[in-house]
Amino acid sequence: MRIGMLRVVAGILVAAATSWPLAAQQPAALRVTAADLRDGLKDPTRWLTYGGDYANHRHSPLTQITPANVHRLTAQWQFQTDTLGKFESTPLVLDGVIYVTGPLDTGWAIDARTGRQIWRYRRDLPGGLIACCGLVNRGFGVLGDRLFKTTLDAHVVAIRRKTGTVEWDTSMVDYKRGYSGTTAPLVVKDKVIVGVAGAEYGVRGFIDAYDAETGRQVWRFYTTAGPGDPGHNTWRGTDAKAWEHGGGSIWVPGAYDPELNLTYWGTGNAGPDYNGSEREGDNLYTASIVALDADTGALRWHYQFTPHDIWDYDSTQMPVLADLTLGGERRKVVLFANRNGFFYMLDRATGKLIRAKPFIETTWAKEIRADGRPMLLPNSVPSEEGTKVCPDQSGGTNWMPPSFHPELGLFFVTARESCGKFFTWKDDYNPGDGYRGGAVQRLEGQYSALRALDVATGERRWEFPYTTQSWAGVLSTASGLVFAGGSGNLMAFDAKTGKNLWHFQSGSSLYAGAITYMVDGRQYVLMPSGTTLTAFALAEF
Amino acid sequence: MMRGACVVAAVTALALVACEPVVMAQDRAARTDSRPTKNPLDGNPQAVSNGAAMFRTRCAGCHGPDARGYLGPDLTGFWAAGGSDDRMFDIVKRGVPGTEMPAVDPQRVLDKDIWQVLAYVRTLSAVPAVPPRGDPANGERIFRATCSGCHIVNGRGGQLGPDLSRIGSARPRAGLLGKLRGSSGLIRAGYEPVTIVTRDGERVRGVKKNEDEFSIQIMDTRERLQGYLKANLTELTLEKQSLMPIYGADRLSEGDLDDLLQYLTGLRGSEAARR
Repeated sequence: MRIGMLRVVAGILVAAATSWPLAAQQPAALRVTAADLRDGLKDPTRWLTYGGDYANHRHSPLTQITPANVHRLTAQWQFQTDTLGKFESTPLVLDGVIYVTGPLDTGWAIDARTGRQIWRYRRDLPGGLIACCGLVNRGFGVLGDRLFKTTLDAHVVAIRRKTGTVEWDTSMVDYKRGYSGTTAPLVVKDKVIVGVAGAEYGVRGFIDAYDAETGRQVWRFYTTAGPGDPGHNTWRGTDAKAWEHGGGSIWVPGAYDPELNLTYWGTGNAGPDYNGSEREGDNLYTASIVALDADTGALRWHYQFTPHDIWDYDSTQMPVLADLTLGGERRKVVLFANRNGFFYMLDRATGKLIRAKPFIETTWAKEIRADGRPMLLPNSVPSEEGTKVCPDQSGGTNWMPPSFHPELGLFFVTARESCGKFFTWKDDYNPGDGYRGGAVQRLEGQYSALRALDVATGERRWEFPYTTQSWAGVLSTASGLVFAGGSGNLMAFDAKTGKNLWHFQSGSSLYAGAITYMVDGRQYVLMPSGTTLTAFALAEF
Repeated sequence: MMRGACVVAAVTALALVACEPVVMAQDRAARTDSRPTKNPLDGNPQAVSNGAAMFRTRCAGCHGPDARGYLGPDLTGFWAAGGSDDRMFDIVKRGVPGTEMPAVDPQRVLDKDIWQVLAYVRTLSAVPAVPPRGDPANGERIFRATCSGCHIVNGRGGQLGPDLSRIGSARPRAGLLGKLRGSSGLIRAGYEPVTIVTRDGERVRGVKKNEDEFSIQIMDTRERLQGYLKANLTELTLEKQSLMPIYGADRLSEGDLDDLLQYLTGLRGSEAARR
């Protein structure tokens, strides 16, 4: 202790005695460029976007931790938010510093070596927040010296990366009408692309782009087709204004293909969730994936996973981009494990369906036909008496991000086997009030599992069943490891076989996915659980 | 006010709100000052229809499809027994502490929804059948002799089974009868029977308190709390039959059953708990 203090004093004396500018002796401060974001995990010491890279692989090239040594993985430090709530966010890592958002619109810069806080951000939230499913946030975006985040009162803010203070603050929409912001931003070139949650309150969903420098809105794409929009005729029925409160929220970030200059977004459920009687038709562009021009927001193509959704099957899962050889031909595809229980592969230039197979038991649709539409099964419409449908409203998977191992061709996803009894009734739309038109009873016999899906066939390669329902995201590494978990256990698996190799009981449920980074030549795995971050590395002995 | 917001958030099990000056939407829904004392939707056909679907979704699991009680009390006699609309509204809104009856999540259930459910339940209203018979004093003697080895009431008794100090608020007579006579298969979470065999050959029977992929936590029949690593077990059997014996007519006469039920249905918590 005394020695440490002496060193500090000596350091100050040396600095004072020298006339050189200090900055000249130190490496230049890093600024994140658009090219850095395009490079993704090319520099694997970092983690700069929600999905690790624009393709959302969540697959790290780091290989220090391997199947052979992962049993030596040991907790190095913990960081606690000292708030209620939970982490659903993916931390970013840059130059030895972690930037993470927490519940209730909080955020921190944390020393990646020690877990010590550098700064804390906390938004002064107004009263009357309306958020259906937790006062959560899914993470920062980064560009230059700014971090970006959405807020529960439906703003987008830019925060100075070095200080945690607000630089600009733009309202997307009036939160009192049921809107909120929880998605991590997708930062592309000079734009911050975000969306709004609130499909349980009759919002009209949209995807917005904001100028990263100024916070000025650049473009908006509405996820329900209004008058004059292509697809507006998919909103028919007794409620002529159904499209105006038709849902289609955005609460998980999209993907980006720099070559095609397209961003890909999964859109939320149609509203009211369980009663489609007044909104006949497909209800575009809810429960879909939309491909938008990154510069203009223009719709290039769409594919609707669940036409006329009446089961709350949000398609707000993370789209995963992959370049695959299929039938001898190189294809640019998007992989999508959907809440409706099907695992889709689409051509990402055209949106054409290549293949869709169920990855859990589904009773609302038997299969997806070659024309891309689901073959619906009878007795699957919510009713006043209750209708049993699988999966339940929480879906075959949900917001928890999957990972993709390109060399093995395996897609790892937290899958839920669940059925629910779907009830419906009539709800009147009233801005800011719940607008679900029904509810769901969960039925017994549910379980969840980590599943490895072979992207070449769509078939399951292996699974590891969890004891309780898991909401954990997934991380994989080039050394052949998969990190996921359940029941509060962070677990490591052999990517090829699914064999569990290591676990750590964190003491709280996992609602996010792990990431990995490197600092001082040491690889860390960082796992959010409950309101705690735990950093693991190989024990040094 | 700020403190109130925290309490509301905790009670509604949102458990998401830091106890800081964040005033939530719940407050919007929690306003009860201007609430009517009479159900404004009573007899409204659309409300009755909506309320029926809502009741089936959210209430029937405990109160039975006809509201005649299953795990939770029979609701059909509420009004005939002098209950009022606003009293029932408060019960639904705030829940019943110490029982499985939760407060509503105001983010999901509007006041209007509660009135719709009440409009439906009111249509099922009935006059109670013959008032239940039985001598609660004798019922208590039977309880002390037969049940208290496993169940606590007001601080006295065993702990292998659930605390029954408020069971009269939580269960209808018919539900308790079913449990005693063996027709109810209900096992409350935390009381699922389990048998394990360790690598040393030790066989342990008890109730499961918790479990994950790698371990299980048990209270054994001697009330010992202990955790076990699954890797150290050669057998783990989760059973569907409750550890509680079935009290058929051969073990508990009809008269004694009436007395015991009369005692149990009167258990509404200790004086201290009620305060």
